[in-house]
Amino acid sequence: MADRPVLEVHDLHVTFRTEGGLVPAVAGIDFAVAPGKTLAIVGESGSGKSVSSAAVMGLLPSNADVKGEVLLDGRELVGLPNDELRKIRGNDIALVFQDALSALNPYYSVGWQVAEAYRLHHDVSKKEALERAVRMLDLVGIPAAKARAKDYPHEFSGGMRQRVVIAMALVNDPKVLIADEPTTALDVTVQAQIMRLLEDVQTEFGTALVLISHDLGVVAEVADDVLVMYAGRAAEHGSVKDLFYRAAHPYSLGLLGAMPRVDVPPRHRLTTIPGSPPSPGSVKTGCPFQPRCAYTERVGERCITERPELTPRPGEGNHEAACHLGRRPEVAP
Amino acid sequence: MPDLVWFLIRRLFATVLVLLALSLAVYLIFYALPADPARLGCGKPCTPDRLEQARHFMQLDQSTIQQYLAFLRGIVVGRTYGEGGAAVHCDAPCFGYSFPLARPVTTLILDRLPITASIALGAAVIWLIVGVSLGVGAALKRGKLFDKLAVGLALIGVASPSFLVGLLAILVFGFWLNMVPVNGYVPFTESPVDWAWHLIMPWLVLAALSSASYIRLTRAQMLEEMNLDHVTTARAKGAGERRVVLVHGLRGVLVPIVTIFGLDLGSLLGGAILTEKVFSMQGLGELLISGVSQVDVAVVVGVTLFSAFLVIIANLVVDLLHGVLDPRVTHG
Repeated sequence: MADRPVLEVHDLHVTFRTEGGLVPAVAGIDFAVAPGKTLAIVGESGSGKSVSSAAVMGLLPSNADVKGEVLLDGRELVGLPNDELRKIRGNDIALVFQDALSALNPYYSVGWQVAEAYRLHHDVSKKEALERAVRMLDLVGIPAAKARAKDYPHEFSGGMRQRVVIAMALVNDPKVLIADEPTTALDVTVQAQIMRLLEDVQTEFGTALVLISHDLGVVAEVADDVLVMYAGRAAEHGSVKDLFYRAAHPYSLGLLGAMPRVDVPPRHRLTTIPGSPPSPGSVKTGCPFQPRCAYTERVGERCITERPELTPRPGEGNHEAACHLGRRPEVAP
Repeated sequence: MPDLVWFLIRRLFATVLVLLALSLAVYLIFYALPADPARLGCGKPCTPDRLEQARHFMQLDQSTIQQYLAFLRGIVVGRTYGEGGAAVHCDAPCFGYSFPLARPVTTLILDRLPITASIALGAAVIWLIVGVSLGVGAALKRGKLFDKLAVGLALIGVASPSFLVGLLAILVFGFWLNMVPVNGYVPFTESPVDWAWHLIMPWLVLAALSSASYIRLTRAQMLEEMNLDHVTTARAKGAGERRVVLVHGLRGVLVPIVTIFGLDLGSLLGGAILTEKVFSMQGLGELLISGVSQVDVAVVVGVTLFSAFLVIIANLVVDLLHGVLDPRVTHG
């Protein structure tokens, strides 16, 4: 039972209708998370990570077209009327944002805001909801939660604010928690505390966690599976071990090379990936990563003419990468 | 709370200083004018003797500064003009005495205030409701027909002079259609229905024009607010769109609207000059205009100071409301 995914996404496409034409932000991605497990979605800015999570929540603006399947416990969410989606948002799937200061409403006390999330899905009195909110604030480690519930967001430190956001997300005991770069805005020491908190609540409640991040250090620590996105597509996915020990896509290798680590000799220079990601929709044929890829010469013109599909790679079972390079590339040159 | 008390003391002190400076400025401006109030007061034929008498009676024969100090003293202890049987008393707080109208300025202001307040408050309620709801609607329907209509209306409203709209309204609804009275004021205590019926035109004209700027302000603020992350949070929590707009979107728009509203209302209570003139309402604005044309310095100084006082009080109230409406604001 534990392995049956609670959230499944199949062939998700998100296209924005803009004045400049159709812009495909996500062009067919698949992922799944099981209860108590963590899936990390990594990639550069603009790779479609956040758009994918917003699509799952049905939170995209009205000029976005979503195609594909989003299954929550087997129930299709794409195309569900807004009123039905509303009952799922915050109740079954909850979101933790990157910047807790702007994610919280400056005009209401944190206790009120957490209680509101509960009252939107439970028919309880304000008093009961507030008691529940205080319990959640206490659970996420806010000292003197009962007194502090009356305080406003600006009266909290960054780490405490992010705890409030997490309490708000967890108050309805959701099946899936989507955390969009939850620690990016925080100090390093606080980052570790917040990640530990997320892990703790996950173990306690059996929540499935979708962690959107570009911090591979965090990913290595907490993720079970990893999806690497590039230009709105999956570049590679597999278990966290597959990715860190058997990365098959040159882009994944580039990301790993750009990560500072303690197990390489000192004075070793971090590598960078030359160039910048393509703008959405600009790559019509071939591999979207080709212009930045160091292995193009080895493969030849297939990289320019033919779009690589996800193909199985050696690993823990589900390891796939979208690269024409058959053999695992050596460590990035 | 001690913070708030200190804040209030400081602000009241500043208010008194501003009013002093303002009254002195108004005094100096009007005494620099070539017109002589005493000449208007001495009647015809005006012999030099009588003129001197009038000047002495109106206490205009003292130096400007002495007159100003007498004015200040009058506010605290009252004032008496002339001596014996012809003496005129002006009880404290005396803001001057209008010889042309033969009444203390304080009484004049208090008599006129209900009319101006009726016009201003009624219009304010209408324009606040109309302006904010149209502004919110326009922001939510951005780029759609409703938005374009609302913005177009606002543009017309901002560009229209109130005397023109007022006169057109009197012509159409008062004379052609004969629907509403074209002038006159009935006190609320006499007949609330007639009171409202006589005020409906000034209200609508004034509100139509003021709504315009509230549509634009609300629309702009709302567009900004609805793009903020915390509004997305509200949706992600599962709030319905109505709740997202009313509880999370509109809440942030409240602060700028209350600010502008307070200041507008404050200055309007000091006299809706054009509207009062057009609709022949004997309000503070009308009092000021006739005071200027008759070189009735006491009235001009009194009404100007009273208007300034209202604006300053409105500012203070707005500042205090900020502390209530925005938890991030402290009165340090």
